[in-house]
Amino acid sequence: MKISYLLTAIISLVTLQVSAQEWVVPAEKSASLSPFAFSDSTRKAGGDLYNLNCKSCHGDPGKNNAVKLVPMPPDPASAQLQGNSDGAMFHKVAEGRGLMPAFKNTLSASDLWRVVSFIRGFNEKYVQEVAQKLSLGTSLENVKFAINWNNELNQLQVTVTALKALTRQPVPGAEMKLSVRRYFGNLQVDGVHTTDNQGVAVFNFPKGLPGDSLGFVQLQLKPVDETAFGEIKVDTTMAIGVPTYRPPLNKERAMWNVVGKTPIWLLLTYLITVLTVWGLIVYVMLQLRAIYKSGEEDDSRSKSKVE
Amino acid sequence: MNDKKLTTEPEHTKKMEDSSNSRRTFFKRFGLIGAAAATGGAAIYTGFEYEVSKPNHDFVKVLTADNKLVEVPRDQIKNLTMDLTRKQQQGRDGLAGRRWVMVIDLAKCRNARKCITACQGAHHLRPYEYHINTLVMQESENTAPYYMPKPCQHCDNPPCVAVCPVDATFKRQDGIVLIDNERCIGCRFCVAACPYSARMFHWEEPLQVEADNGVTYDIELNVPQKKGTISKCLFSADRLREGKLPYCVSSCPNGVYYFGDENQDAVTNGTTKETFRLSQLLKDNGGYHLMPELGTKPRVYYLPPKNRLFEFNGEGDKVVEQG
Repeated sequence: MKISYLLTAIISLVTLQVSAQEWVVPAEKSASLSPFAFSDSTRKAGGDLYNLNCKSCHGDPGKNNAVKLVPMPPDPASAQLQGNSDGAMFHKVAEGRGLMPAFKNTLSASDLWRVVSFIRGFNEKYVQEVAQKLSLGTSLENVKFAINWNNELNQLQVTVTALKALTRQPVPGAEMKLSVRRYFGNLQVDGVHTTDNQGVAVFNFPKGLPGDSLGFVQLQLKPVDETAFGEIKVDTTMAIGVPTYRPPLNKERAMWNVVGKTPIWLLLTYLITVLTVWGLIVYVMLQLRAIYKSGEEDDSRSKSKVE
Repeated sequence: MNDKKLTTEPEHTKKMEDSSNSRRTFFKRFGLIGAAAATGGAAIYTGFEYEVSKPNHDFVKVLTADNKLVEVPRDQIKNLTMDLTRKQQQGRDGLAGRRWVMVIDLAKCRNARKCITACQGAHHLRPYEYHINTLVMQESENTAPYYMPKPCQHCDNPPCVAVCPVDATFKRQDGIVLIDNERCIGCRFCVAACPYSARMFHWEEPLQVEADNGVTYDIELNVPQKKGTISKCLFSADRLREGKLPYCVSSCPNGVYYFGDENQDAVTNGTTKETFRLSQLLKDNGGYHLMPELGTKPRVYYLPPKNRLFEFNGEGDKVVEQG
């Protein structure tokens, strides 16, 4: 009886351990496919991205020279990594886990697929399956995004159109995200909005978001599903931020600042003290001189009297 | 005698002939050799010209300042060195229109110490020399302990700068407090003045003193380090210039650090690279300064260690990683 308990405990522990190590990818993510066919150019671009972002830990593919971390970063050419579906590989690079950083905010979906294409280059048996272009009810040709600013409502109107039967028609149901360029990355504003039947999505621009000294902000509009729309994005600059100018932090007079920025009170106190002390010394010297002189005069007077 | 004369005279004339002959041949030879030399020289020169101008397909990958990977021919590369004066000047000036700010989320720190090693690697420090350190904190007996990474706070009212007698440590327009090791006299007034114990002193020869020999001093990196001077956290001023996050921020595996520009009201997480609004982040999470009562106005904010996602195992667990 005891032994069976122990066995169950051990087995459950082992399974727990295994499940803890396993990296489960949601089925629909695992099944996702690249929107473009892998070619030499995608592999080359992917290789450049790999060298920039992945090589420092994963090493050169096929050379087993990864950095010794716990757990070990697998070699991209290994069976362990090549055993993943394209979608699973994409998901793992995008989301990250533990020491493996997430790249969804640093690389675009297309760039992530290029990295996958580079990794697949080390698998001779690999045959690619390319995704069918997603239709969204219409076949998307020549998609265009436009941004308009509504000053009264403090809103940004985004219009998505596509060519259909040689006429430009709105695209409904397109999920869009809007972000503002900041120094180290893009700040997403007002979540994700879906276009209505007129192909219009409305974003509320956050209040008080600083722009440059004239209020200009750089906006970027992108579809959430880059796989369906491809690499389309709109970069534009609009004067809708709060004009912000803040003086340099070392501009004010302060105790810690350079000599030229000495606080006035300190400068005055110092100068007055120094001048007073020196004035006193000079005054005393002058008085001593006067005493000496009057003594000399007295001497000469008494001498002349004696004569 | 006559015979002799007869023999000598022709000899003389022969000599004359010889000499005239040799001048002529000399010029002849000179002309020939000169022509040959000119032709040879021209040939060598054209060969050299060709060698210089011929297309060389040996390319080198180069990362540009705006983070683009480009290829340039190897023979077109010119080595430019930033001279000390220019580096010192741009280091003193800082980046216009910026006010750097760091946010440290104590709820996420599990003492992985990656920030420390990345920092020590960049600034050529020994494992026991810290610009940033993670401290084990416990406010009182009944409160939960937590890890607290502590870099220089880059105060807006820096006591360390006020006491420096030689203007070696200074505050820039973008808020960073830097040290000029070329000016520092090692008096350590600043060490005594800093309420956050953020500064370290090089008592011994710095770690890579031989490898760094001849390297132009970079005021924004404090490399090469100098014995008998002060060093401290620089907010990775050299990386900020390139638009990159500081060494510690980008090496954290647990998403502890946010870094950004206060003027843009935005901070970016070093792990996820997600950007947040600074004001919102501080408001939602109850951000605070260290020792605000001193009036030093730090540029580093802390988010309290609430809703922690892991167990605190005490001082025993030096390296804990998310798994």
